[in-house]
Amino acid sequence: MKRILAILLIALLALSLGGCSARKEVDASKLVIWHDKEDAVVEALSAYLAEACPGIEVTFEKKTSLTDSLKLVGNDPSAAPDMFIFAHDKVGVFAEMDILAPIEPLLAEDALANHLPMTLEAATYGGTLYQLPLYFETLLFLYNERYMLEGSVPATTEELYQYMQANTGRGRYGFVEQHSTAYYAAAWIHGFGGEIISANGEPFPDAEAVQDALAYHKKFVELMPGETEYATVNTLFLEGKADSTIGGPWMVPSAREAGISLGIAPMPVVDETGLALAPYSGVQGVHVLKFAAENKEDSVRAVLAALVEPEIGVTLALASGCAPANALCYDDAAVAEDEMVQAMRATAEIAVPMPNIPEMDVMWTVVSDLLTDVNLSGRDVQESFDDALAQAQNLIANMQ
Amino acid sequence: MRKGRGCLRSYAWSAPSLTLIALMVVFPILYTLYISLTNMSVYHWFDFSFIGLENYRRALLVFDSGFLSALLWTILWTIVNMAVQLVLAFALASLLNVKKLRLRKLYKTILMFPWAMPGYVSILLWKTGIFNSQFGLLNQWAEALGLEARRWLATDVSAFVFCTVVNLWLALPFMIMIMDGAMQSIDESCYESARLDGATRLQRAVYITIPTIRPMIAPAVIITVFTTFKQFDVVYLLTQQMGAQTGSNFHTVLTYAYENAFITNNYGYSSAISMLIFALLLLFSRLQRKEVSR
Amino acid sequence: MKRGKLRSIASMGALNLFFIALCFVTLIPILYALSVALSAQNTLLSSDFSFIPRALTLDNFRAVFEGEDVLPWFENSMVLAAATVALSLSAAIPAAYAFSRRRFPGRKMILRWLVLLNSFPALLSMFAIYRLLRPLGLVNTRLGLILVYTGTMSVFSLWNLKGYFDTVPVEIEEAARMDGASDVGVVWRIVLPLARPSLIVTALMVLIYVWNEYIYATTFMTGETNYTLAAGLYGLQATETSGSWPVFAAASLLVSLPVLVIFLLCQKYMTSGLTAGGVKG
Repeated sequence: MKRILAILLIALLALSLGGCSARKEVDASKLVIWHDKEDAVVEALSAYLAEACPGIEVTFEKKTSLTDSLKLVGNDPSAAPDMFIFAHDKVGVFAEMDILAPIEPLLAEDALANHLPMTLEAATYGGTLYQLPLYFETLLFLYNERYMLEGSVPATTEELYQYMQANTGRGRYGFVEQHSTAYYAAAWIHGFGGEIISANGEPFPDAEAVQDALAYHKKFVELMPGETEYATVNTLFLEGKADSTIGGPWMVPSAREAGISLGIAPMPVVDETGLALAPYSGVQGVHVLKFAAENKEDSVRAVLAALVEPEIGVTLALASGCAPANALCYDDAAVAEDEMVQAMRATAEIAVPMPNIPEMDVMWTVVSDLLTDVNLSGRDVQESFDDALAQAQNLIANMQ
Repeated sequence: MRKGRGCLRSYAWSAPSLTLIALMVVFPILYTLYISLTNMSVYHWFDFSFIGLENYRRALLVFDSGFLSALLWTILWTIVNMAVQLVLAFALASLLNVKKLRLRKLYKTILMFPWAMPGYVSILLWKTGIFNSQFGLLNQWAEALGLEARRWLATDVSAFVFCTVVNLWLALPFMIMIMDGAMQSIDESCYESARLDGATRLQRAVYITIPTIRPMIAPAVIITVFTTFKQFDVVYLLTQQMGAQTGSNFHTVLTYAYENAFITNNYGYSSAISMLIFALLLLFSRLQRKEVSR
Repeated sequence: MKRGKLRSIASMGALNLFFIALCFVTLIPILYALSVALSAQNTLLSSDFSFIPRALTLDNFRAVFEGEDVLPWFENSMVLAAATVALSLSAAIPAAYAFSRRRFPGRKMILRWLVLLNSFPALLSMFAIYRLLRPLGLVNTRLGLILVYTGTMSVFSLWNLKGYFDTVPVEIEEAARMDGASDVGVVWRIVLPLARPSLIVTALMVLIYVWNEYIYATTFMTGETNYTLAAGLYGLQATETSGSWPVFAAASLLVSLPVLVIFLLCQKYMTSGLTAGGVKG
């Protein structure tokens, strides 16, 4: 019995050793791209690249908690990918880690001339572009046309509040959102002219605006469920128990599947300031790791050159409702007709690109805590804000 | 001479196990200690340098009133969880060992179910399936009984209570199995002679079962105490996860340190805090020293 | 006599009722998952939930097998679990025996420190372990994970087995030694059969740890086909924006089944050689 165990063990070890084909030699014709995207996006990308760059074998590997893994492996060629696709908001972190290659030297001149300025701006950190933008997403005001009729779609936040008062109760909600989540609440803070963090890393540069936004937002929260996470909000809307919501483009396919006749409206305007609720926008794109840029330059150039073209933007827009970063894509007839893509493009005019400085990394938690304190624990706005500011300053100081 | 060779042989026998432990348990601690003396962070990823005790000076500032309250909560959490866990597991394991219980195997297997799932799955099931204020079973039952729906995880005390419930649900299967395994090892004849002497069920438990299984379960219990102390998943995923917080302010030492230090990506600083928490744990373990050194 | 029998039947009935109720309470979250997995609506949440879904379907279970790389995940989990259990036991049994039976310098100190060192919060060990595996070329390999898992569970295995070995009377061993048995023979033929419950408990503990572990698996392995079941499942729910709850619920139930089957099968061996009567008297 012991012998059998020993044999089994050795066999297993041999098996697991054999199973690991370590990528030791640099094979410049092979590129590994990490991502955490939906299947539709990746399938479109990989089919497109197979055709556009026939000599290069591009492998897409899905990586859960992609950014955490990258923080661990850096650009170690034995463990890290050659490129990765992610939102632009981590550009600062990875640029500071010194693992990202600047994108522009890898592209032909003027290759980015047609990209929307907003997307390029979002992907630039410290004056250098570190990401080739593919598409972007913003939150949208979505409503269920069966319950919220054409005429009652609120143009201002006060109208929204009146609608909520009239239509909330007995398990129904006039409006729901992930109210105590930083990504969503940012829209309200921007609507009061505030910011979560300034471009030079100062948390809450306009304290007054943030506090006003929190205080004003609170009455809306009182008419929403006590949960702030995606599952609850999403389900309420999909079950037809909430008339309207603010959600991302990722909600749209499931809403259509659930048979909801979906309306998309412009973001309501805050009465007091005259500014619309301005959500964050996230630019999704390709980052190149330094090691790959140095050792596989030709392949990387070929792939990037293919991804700059408007075709892939159009394909992605049609495959999964992404809003392309290349402005030429919007000339395509099918894209021009897509209501959601157009709505996102319109929202992009007011949307604020997520800050990409490393300091933003801790602000997600700080703002989440602050919102929870105010909205869910019922703490005083001023007091919670002071705590959050102190926490933010402390965390930012301790990043260095 | 003979003794010397015996020693060598003992070391040889323990070598594989101790080597693995040295690599996977001791090395990370030493490495963390080393990193805690450097300024390694996102800004100094490749070019970090030795900065002495600077990180510890800063780390001590984390030990503010918030940390202190988290520490007290954690101690209370450990005591309550361990006490309830031990009593319940002992009672259930004893009942499972009642001789005439035919369906024992079936019951045991079903009771093991919570353990057979990855922790994050079960915690998610509890959070959305049971505690959710809109859809959770608790509120549906409350409504059926004509009670008011509520947010079950919103206050410190209720969050503590329900985290304890979930933690017990997760941890009891292991404890029951350990106790059950230990009880299976007790020689039946001990009970028979005690029965002949007229000992009651309770007396048999107190004078035979407990003293016999004590040394057998002690390692598992001690390890569970530490696991409970450094519990992160239950508390974090149930009440503190970013973007899904419930409004309670119940933190354990680890969730507190996570929110107030680890997220900075400053590895030197975070390592210093880890080392300090580790030191605290060692201090805490002095309370159990007698048990450990047996 | 008859009254006593009646009373015993009544108390057994009560005991069975108690356990049935307890099992039900334990299973509530799992029944919930089952009901979600069997329901045709795409939602983990529903405001009119019942344990028996209105529209039954097995599509979600089918989707698990069709849509995901479940079979490679399953294979990975099996290989990792089997190898880790085998390696853990082969390393821990001799060590536990040495620590239980022999006296050597450093024994007490090592024992005490092992438990203390094991209490180090693993949240930050990840980084160090990565630094350890990389030069060895073990990142993104099964062997790397097996070593990490075995190392992590070593303290438990060693301590747990030692605790049981301590309770095996030395006299039994001495008798065997008189008959000329070697050390290995004594451990193999006398100690292990007597400590069988603890072997099973330790093996199960290691197995379940490996089966449910996802943090190391998601961090150190790349590529969907290299994931374990727990890691793959984690990926399914981590992308909540595109995830399907019923498929996730179905997958979680499928993941736990093998563990339960193994547990059920192991129960037969959970009784010790002592109670089996082999060495009485």
